This record gives sequence, structure tokens and C-alpha cells, in this order.
Amino acid sequence: MNPPAAAGNSLATSPVVGRFRSPRHLFSTLEGVFHEEVFFLILSVFIGIFSGLAVVCFRLAIDWTHLALLGPLPQTHGWRLFAVPSLAGLVVAALVLHLFPGIRGSGVNQTKAALYIYNGVIPFRTAVGKFICAALAIGSGQSLGPEDPSLQIGASIASALGRWLQISREKLRLIAPVGAAAGLAAAFNAPISAVLFVIEEVIGRWSAGILGSVVLSAVSSVVIVRWFLGSEPLFRIPVTTFKRPTELIAYAVLGIVGGLASVAFAKSIGYLRPRLKALPRWTQYSQPALAGLLVGLIAFLGAPQIMGAGYDSMDQAMHGQYAWKFLAILAVLKILATTVSFVSGTPGGMFAPTLFIGAMLGGAVGDIERIFFPHLTGSTGTYVLVGMGVLFAGFLRVPMTSVFMVLEVSGNYEIIVPVIVANTFSYLVSRSMQSVPIFDLLTRQDGLILPSLEEEREEAILRVEDAMLPVPATILSAQDYIDANARRILDSADSTFLVRLHPSGWNIISHDQLQTLFQEGKGELTLGSVLPPQSLPSLYPDLPLDSAIRFVNDFPLVPVVNRADSRQLEGVVSRDSVLQKYSVRSTRS
Amino acid sequence: MSWTLPKPVPRSAPVILLILTLGAAVAFAAVSHLVARYNANQQARGRKLYVQGLAAAAAAHYDDAIAAFRAALTCDPANSQYQLSLARALRDSNDPRRLDEAESYLIALWQRAPQDAAVNLALARVAAHRGSIEDAIHYYHNAIYGVWNSDPDLNRGKARVELIEFLLKEGAQDKAESELVALATLLPPDPALHLEAAQLFAQAQDYAGALAQFQEALRRDPANFSALAGAGQTAYRSGNYATAQRYLQAAVNANPQDASSRQLLATTELVLRSNPFLSHISDAERNRRITAAFEQAEKRLTECAQQIGLDLKATNPPSVSQLSVLQSRWTAAKPDLAHLRSAAETDLPDVLMDVVFQIERQTVATCGPPQGLDLALLLISQKREAASQ
Repeated sequence: MNPPAAAGNSLATSPVVGRFRSPRHLFSTLEGVFHEEVFFLILSVFIGIFSGLAVVCFRLAIDWTHLALLGPLPQTHGWRLFAVPSLAGLVVAALVLHLFPGIRGSGVNQTKAALYIYNGVIPFRTAVGKFICAALAIGSGQSLGPEDPSLQIGASIASALGRWLQISREKLRLIAPVGAAAGLAAAFNAPISAVLFVIEEVIGRWSAGILGSVVLSAVSSVVIVRWFLGSEPLFRIPVTTFKRPTELIAYAVLGIVGGLASVAFAKSIGYLRPRLKALPRWTQYSQPALAGLLVGLIAFLGAPQIMGAGYDSMDQAMHGQYAWKFLAILAVLKILATTVSFVSGTPGGMFAPTLFIGAMLGGAVGDIERIFFPHLTGSTGTYVLVGMGVLFAGFLRVPMTSVFMVLEVSGNYEIIVPVIVANTFSYLVSRSMQSVPIFDLLTRQDGLILPSLEEEREEAILRVEDAMLPVPATILSAQDYIDANARRILDSADSTFLVRLHPSGWNIISHDQLQTLFQEGKGELTLGSVLPPQSLPSLYPDLPLDSAIRFVNDFPLVPVVNRADSRQLEGVVSRDSVLQKYSVRSTRS
Repeated sequence: MSWTLPKPVPRSAPVILLILTLGAAVAFAAVSHLVARYNANQQARGRKLYVQGLAAAAAAHYDDAIAAFRAALTCDPANSQYQLSLARALRDSNDPRRLDEAESYLIALWQRAPQDAAVNLALARVAAHRGSIEDAIHYYHNAIYGVWNSDPDLNRGKARVELIEFLLKEGAQDKAESELVALATLLPPDPALHLEAAQLFAQAQDYAGALAQFQEALRRDPANFSALAGAGQTAYRSGNYATAQRYLQAAVNANPQDASSRQLLATTELVLRSNPFLSHISDAERNRRITAAFEQAEKRLTECAQQIGLDLKATNPPSVSQLSVLQSRWTAAKPDLAHLRSAAETDLPDVLMDVVFQIERQTVATCGPPQGLDLALLLISQKREAASQ
């Protein structure tokens, strides 16, 4: 056996360890490995961890507040239903008006504004305020959910980390959505839906550059939440079935009803919010309290299910515990309760209420349909699940998230077709009756204009082929002599000509340049020998027209070639043709 | 809002990652501590609510039990025991709307522990509530072959018994008999279980199997009154009157207050005293029994005709009824009684008793169940018919 000293010597002289003789040396070597992209990805994992931990605490805070103020469910009676939401509303209003002015509402818009207006900056104070006020509001029974606040808390933590680490401006701008995805994924226990929602609603455009970070943060935050709170799903999903394609009609009807409900919900918020905000400042102290009083009154009159996020009630609706009349009443009351809670400026989210309304509406519509058509095989649970997606698609206007949310929550791919059909109808009805999605509407009411994926999706993109001119009648060849080329342009009225290079590529020459070369006695030379060696940039017909802008200022003609054969000319674009296309579009819009 | 961006100052990435890791570890530890304390409080609250729920369920106050179990689950959502109890309360509340929820709880538990016999048994009961035979058999079998926390043999036997009762209730006789065979071979040496199995065999109309189980119970507990009475009744129903007499007599001796066994014993003794086809009786005794039966049949026929207002002695009865035809047959056969002593007439007892049996069967259809000697003659007729088939 070798003595310890010998072992130590062998380690020191090994090629791997020997390179790092001191911690300083190790760090400096590692530093080279962490260029900004890699560092940002690793930072995303930490954002997920910190956001996950914050959301765990947030959920505990809501539960604790609920237990402390309202007591466990069976013992919740009488005066508490009135007093608790009202008094908590007063406290929340005071906190919002004096300490945390930036935390009103859901937090989705603020996060989006941070990305597009404030260079990714969300004060850490926002996270603290949102945590305290949303926990107090939701725990006291206001009809709001914890998901959107979690999103903003995650974004705020990410922004604070980014500023502390002094990352670049470009990365700091992107860091808020990374934190938002982490917060939402942790709150919803659904990483795919969170990633999609952040892309659809917060970032507002598809961006591959940030996708890796968003996914990493979402997954790591979900791991944290499951570590502490377990992997129990939000709902216990009953047996869901979809047997006959003709039943899709029933789901389409649900989609239409859901779309109408979404419009009613969105319009009531859109109508009341600016009017309540415009009232004198002193009334803003009482607005959350009055909202709490109304919610308490509804609960006292027999519908305590509408208090808070309402996940337990959704679970019971999913298992057919309520008759259709009660389900319909709950849907209407929840729209009312959430509208007043939200427009009063109480911090809290609309995800859970949206799911609640959709669940109740889905159950009611499904039960009514089965009364008239008893052969329908879908269970109440199936309609409740589909209904959740329907409201998500119609109210929040996030069609992709709505489909994946249902699939992720249910873990059942059998109902994907009903979900897609119903969500599509809901989205279309909502889209046709309410042109601006709810989050965009709220943003505009606050005086901000932020990009919207829905607008981008529906915007007609101009492409190179839209501005493309026909192939010119005269194409010169670099292999031909200058005098032969000069003779070919004698009768042409064009001022500029494309030159086909050998073996591939394009160049350009003007009428005057060619005449000059001919007059200088260079007619015996090939055209290719006198042209500059670099070839002209070329475009493809399907490229966005924006990509042509970079070239049309420098070159009077830019060739548009076939992707399969770059020697085959499809047409040309010029500065005039591009600008003309843009001017036509701007006149139309 | 107006914020100013800090100037980008590069920092050492490894140092930053080290700090972040340490920060995450500290935060993780702090949240762990917080969650542990919160969970401890919640679990204590959950246990309290669970006990309330158990008490309510025991008193069949299922709505209260469900509310308490639900509240317990909000405190400790992953607790399998709470979930199982809630599922049981939902199922036992006899509200068909709650079966779905019960099932989803149980399926979630089953997915976590498919070998858990208690969960499988609860799922089997839900399937039984729905009347779904295949699902019920599937989950009952899972329960029978699953893992029990205590008394596995006893619990497996009970689960099998429950399955058989369900199958019999649903009219799945063949499947029930298969389960009964399996039950009989695996029963532990417990007289009570053998008694229960015997009852099931009797319900399935497998009287031989039932008698065997009663006898097994008596082998382990010879003075078991229920087993004696059951064995007697089973033997009686299967037409084994000699055995029935033995067990019923013992049952009556053991419990003189048992009116049912006493009545069955009287009928059994009457059957044994009246049956002319027993091999051990003399010709004279056989002829006496045939004569008595023949006369009793005429008496029963006349009484039944009177009961429905029919005069069999009228010269022109209002209509030709079955009773009139039987009266004619009886009158035609009566002279043959005198020939019973003749050794040459070997099939005469059968001919005469055939008239008796026809009368007894027809009067049952017309006038209801008989008593006394008529009942005995009817039983003899049924036994003869079964033997001939």
C-alpha cells in the first residue's frame, strides 16, 4: 500500500487535477466555460428554484390565512363570511395604496410591460407586496386565484436576480418571462401550460432564443413544488370518455356557450374597471372591502363555493356532485364575484376563476344536453374538463395553452378532440364579439400598448414574392464577351441588368458601365473578368419582405431565386417595388 | 414608472454560481423547516377531523362523515387512509352521483398501490354498486390475492364470500358456483366460515355442497345448532329425508324452541311414513301407504273443488276442468286398489300413485300450497320426478 504522501503526489501530478492547483485557478478556468448564453441557462434553473420556493411559501400563506380567518371548511359559518373578506379588503386597499402601488390586478400585464417597456425591471418590492396582499385577499375569500400573482412573484424574483448579477440589458429584458414561467408552473403544477402561456401572453411572440430558459425554469420550479407539496394533482380526474364523433356537436355547443360567457365576463370587467378606477381616490379604500362584502353575501346566501380559488368545488363538480341548475348558478355568481373582486383593484389572479366558471358551465351544459339527448356518453366530468379549456380559450384567448392545460391537468389524451373542437368554437365566438383580448384590453386601459401574439398571428405578413417583379427580359452572362453583351442591350430601355455568374451566383451592371467598357476597347474581354469578384445577395420568394429591405438600398435590383436551384431566377425586387408594397399595405390598414 | 439600469459590471461566473447555490440551499432549508411545521399542524388537524369522520360514518351519518373526511384531506391531501375512508363514505352514502368521486379516489390509490387488498375491495364494492360484474370480479380477485395488513386468510375468505353473494344477487349462478368451489377448498378451519359457505352453497341451490359445508362445520363443532338445523334443511330441500330427519331431530333436541326445524321434522317424518316406494318396507305396508295416499288425494281434490266452487258430483258440470278430469281418473282407478295384493300386478303401485301425484300437483296450481299428508305426498312426487330425470 502506498503511503498517503505518495497518493497525494499522484493526484497533484494527474493531468486533470494538476491544472487546478488553487481555487483561484479553478475559478478562472471555469470562467472561460461560462459564456453568457450558458450562464443564462444555468441562471434560469436558479430562477426556477427560487420562484418555486417562493410559490410554496405563497400557497402556505394562502392556506394559513384561510384557516386563520375563515376556519376549516365545516366550521365556516355566519358572520365570518361577511366580516372577513370585507375587513381584509380594507387592509389590502390600504397596503396597495400606500405601500405597494404596483401590485393591483393579476400581474400578467405588469410582467409583459416589464419585458417591453421597463427593460425587464420589476422591483422586488412588487414580489413582497403581491405575496402579502394576494395571500390576504385570496385567503380571506375574495374570488381570485393564486396563479397570476405567482407568475408576477416569479418574474419579480428573476428580475431582482438579474439586476443583482448585473447581466446585460438584453438578457435582463428576457429574464422576467423566465421567472414568470417558473412562478406560473409552480402555481399550476403544469410546466407545459406555463411555458405556452408565457409565450402566448407574456412574451407575445414566438421566440426560440428564450424557449430553453423558460422551459428550464418552469421544470425546476415544478420539481421544487412537488418536492415540498407532493405531486397530488389539482383535481382527481374521473373516468372521461369520448366514443362517438357525432358527440362533437355537443362539445361545439359547449364551446359556443363558453364563448358567450367569456365575452360577458370580459366585457363586464372591461366596462367596470376604468369606471371604478376613475372614481375619487378615497373610494379606492372601500372598493376591495365592498367587493369582499358582496362575495361574502353570495357565500352566505348559499354559494360559499365561489370564495377563493375554488379548486375543491371544481373537483366536486367534476364528480357530478352538483345538479345542473346549481352549476349554472355557480357559473353566473362566479362571474359576478370575480368581476367585482378584480375591478376593485384587489391583487389576485383570474386563472382559477376562469377554470371555475368553465368547469361549472361545462357541467351544466353537459347535463342539460344529456337531458335532451340521453344517448350522449360523455360523463359530467368530461364536460367539466372540456369547459375549463373552453373558458381559457375564450376569456384569456390563449388557444394553445387552453388545450395543453386540459391535457396536462387531466393526463388524458382521449378527450383531446372534444377539447380542440370546443376551444376553437369558444375562441372564434369570443374573437368575433370582442376584438381585443382581456389582457390587452387591461393593458390599453392602463395606457400601454404591448405586442400581442393574437394580433401577430392574424396579421398578414408581407413576403418577398408580394413585391417581386417579373424576370427581366434581358439577362447577361458573365461568360460572354463584353461586345456581345453590349449589342444585346442596345434596344433595351432598362438601366440596370442582372449578370448570371459561372458556375452560380448573380451580379449586376448598369447600362452606362457596360457602354463605357465597350468604348474603352474591352469588348474582347468576358464580362465576368471585369466585374467585382463578390456576387450579389439573392432572396427567396417565401422570405419576409423585411429581409429585402437590407439589400434594396445598396443594389438597384436584387434577384429572387428558387430554393431548389439558385440559378433559376423567379423574379427581382427593387427599392421601388418593396416600398410600393409597404405603402399599399399602410393605406389599407 | 422610471427605472435606471445598472451599469454592466462583469463578475466571476463560478463565484456567482457558488453564491446562488449557497443561497438556494439556505432558502431550501428554511422552506423545509416552514413546510415541516405547517405539515405537522395540518396533520394534527387532519387527524382530528378524520376521527370525527370515522365516528360519523360509524353512525351512518354519511354527509357529516364526507364533510369531515374532505376537510381532513384538505389538511393532508396525500393521506391514503383519509382518501380510502372518504371513498368508502361516498360509496356507502347510497347516492349514485357520489360513486364517480369515490371511484376516482380509489383509482388514484390503486395506481399508487395496485396490490393493496383494502383498496381493491373498496373498488370491487363500487363496481358491485354499479352492477358491473366483470369489474367487480376483477377487483374482488385482486383483493383476494392482494396484500392484507392483518388476518389475510380470514379477510380473503370474507372477500370471496362477498363476491359470491354479489354474484348470486346478480343471478350469475355459474360464476358464483366457480367461486364457491374455490372457497370450499381454501376455507380456514373456522365453523362460522363453513356455515357461511354452506349458506352460499344453499343459495346457489348446490345442496350437496351446502350439506358438505354444514357437515364440515359440525365436524369442528358437533353441537353447533345452526349447523344442525342448516344440514337438516339442506338435506330436506335436496330430498334426502332420512338424513334430514337425523339432523332436524338433533336440531330440535338441541333447541326445542326452533319452530322451523320442528315443522320441517314433522313433514320429513310424514314423508318417510307415507312413501310407498321405500325399499325397506313390506308389501303390506306399501299397500297400506298407497291406499292411504289414494284416499287422501280424493279428499284433497274434493276440498280444492269446493274451494273454487266446483261440484265434482254434479251430473253436468258447467265446464270440463282439470279437477273434473282428475276426478274421473281417480274414480276409474279406484277399483284397482283391490288388486294391489296380487303379486302379478307389479306396475299397479306406480299407476295408482301417478293418479295421486297428478292430483297433488294440480291442486297446488289451483288451490295453493298443501299441508300435512298432502305436502308429504307432493314432496314424494317431486322426489320421484327428480329421480326419473
